[in-house]
Amino acid sequence: MQEDDRPGLSVRLDSVTKIYVVSGEELPAIRGITLSIDRGEALAVVGSSGSGKSTLLHLSGLLDRPTTGAVFYGDRRVDHLPASDRAVLRNRSVGFVFQNFQLIPRTTAIENVEMPLLYRGVSSRERRERARDLLASVGMGDRERHYSSQLSGGQQQRVAIARALAASPGLLLADEPTGNLDSRSASSVLELLLSIQERSRMTLVLVTHDTEVARFATRTVRVRDGLLEGS
Amino acid sequence: MLLVFLGLKALLRNPYRSILTSLGIVIGVLSVIVLVSIGLGAKALVLQSIQNLGPNLLVVIPGSVTDSGAQVGGGTDTTLTVEDAQAIREDCPDVWNASGALRTAAQVQSPHANWSTVILGAEPNYLPVRDWHLAHGGFFGPEEEDSAARVAVLGRLVASRLFGLGNPVGNFIQINHSPFRVIGLLSSKGQSPMGMNQDDMVVIPLSTLQSQIMGVTYVGVILAAAGSPERVDDAKREIRDLLRLRHHIPPGGRPDFDIQALSDIAKTANRLSLILTVLLALIASISLFVGGIGILNIMLVSVRERTREIGIRMAIGARPRDILLQFLTESAALSFFGGLAGGLLGILSILAIRSFLGWPAPIPWEGSLLTVVGATFLGILFGLYPAWRASRLDPMEALRYE
Repeated sequence: MQEDDRPGLSVRLDSVTKIYVVSGEELPAIRGITLSIDRGEALAVVGSSGSGKSTLLHLSGLLDRPTTGAVFYGDRRVDHLPASDRAVLRNRSVGFVFQNFQLIPRTTAIENVEMPLLYRGVSSRERRERARDLLASVGMGDRERHYSSQLSGGQQQRVAIARALAASPGLLLADEPTGNLDSRSASSVLELLLSIQERSRMTLVLVTHDTEVARFATRTVRVRDGLLEGS
Repeated sequence: MLLVFLGLKALLRNPYRSILTSLGIVIGVLSVIVLVSIGLGAKALVLQSIQNLGPNLLVVIPGSVTDSGAQVGGGTDTTLTVEDAQAIREDCPDVWNASGALRTAAQVQSPHANWSTVILGAEPNYLPVRDWHLAHGGFFGPEEEDSAARVAVLGRLVASRLFGLGNPVGNFIQINHSPFRVIGLLSSKGQSPMGMNQDDMVVIPLSTLQSQIMGVTYVGVILAAAGSPERVDDAKREIRDLLRLRHHIPPGGRPDFDIQALSDIAKTANRLSLILTVLLALIASISLFVGGIGILNIMLVSVRERTREIGIRMAIGARPRDILLQFLTESAALSFFGGLAGGLLGILSILAIRSFLGWPAPIPWEGSLLTVVGATFLGILFGLYPAWRASRLDPMEALRYE
């Protein structure tokens, strides 16, 4: 993993709510959360399923927009930006790691890792070099040409982590990254994530229902029924 | 450029579906090109047979004309005479030559065979008027015409029926049991625009036909050749004025004859075959349109099927317009390559039609190019809606899509 001297991104959620409307019925997922995530911090967000912790992560990563409240990257309000600007921000500042890996089907490992750089307009040679380095750094250097269907869960998650790091983001968001893995691959993926965070000093938000996992974080917040507990 | 590449790559990931999807466009373009070519071939055939008759030719037929221009009982009246033909020949400056002609059907016999054919009575200058030539022997002159001589010039088909492949000149044939000496053999002329085989005919002096076979004094038709294609209209006017005078038609009165210029017939035939070609192209365009709908359909399915992929791409930074362009590229490529394949297959089909059916179908290069471009445009048009829907997906919902 190459060192990135770009400082991590600080994120602030200012009394955000998220209410989903499903067939005319309002389902509040987040009922009002204010949270500051410092740069370079490794924050664990824990809570049972349905507590709203994943929604919190998606709001932080601009995949979703809050119903009310605001999201700040540093001092810049970002939640109200148009879809296209949010896409550019996601591309440059945020890396996502999902529970179910979300690799693109029928696409090789290296193509997946190259993809964020593609949307950034990086030249193909540079893309290939960077993707190769990243795959090597997550221990997947020998499986560049494998399709996602030919990889185990742990391997897929390593590729997904390499992809999340491709654009050298300031913020790495991991949503139950070990949730679909057996305990051995889970701990190695977790170690990988934490070692990357430690070295690159990027901000890491780790959503998990597993309090064991949360122990590795520098700080832990607990979400329950769409609210932060004890804060 | 990268995104265009991305769209192409997605197509290659699913080659069978891509081929089947573009098949509609392939068939559409193929049928447009082939049908247009067949239409143009029909036009060429018609023009060619009119050219055979002579582009400068004017045909004067007896019979009255109604106000609407439709002819009533045309060709059956007996108002035209050899003297009319002579007057036209001598008094119309833009007419280069003219010949009266009359025809009847008769049985023709040689020592070995007999054949039922058309007997054409013509004046000695019939051949130059028709721009027709002899293959063997000679044609009759004023002497034979004046003396109503029993001489005959055979059409190709008649000659081969009566005498086989040999030269018939010098032999005798019988027409209605009277002997005629064969003095010439016509070169092959083929079909007339009216579908008559012009080689199935025996030409004899007009006076002989009138006096010895039919017992009449009129002519069925007067053929006049204008000095040049540009003088056809002037020649037509001169003939009309002359005949009105000779036939004592008062000003404003209905003439008892009609003059048709072959160039007019050619224009009409030209217009008709153009309409035919456009009609064929329109019908074929329907299949092209259906092919476009096929693309719309598959792209909609594809967007739905790849909703999660779209979500992932959006999560890692694809802007709506990146997604739009990717899917638009796919549909454009499907229709472009489909169109290209259809174009190539179309040209191959035309070549096959030419060599196996002998139809003079030209390869419509510009039309083909236009069709391929049109097909690509159609693909983009029909791909627009699915691509727009893909680009408008909510990233979060797309990621959750199962």
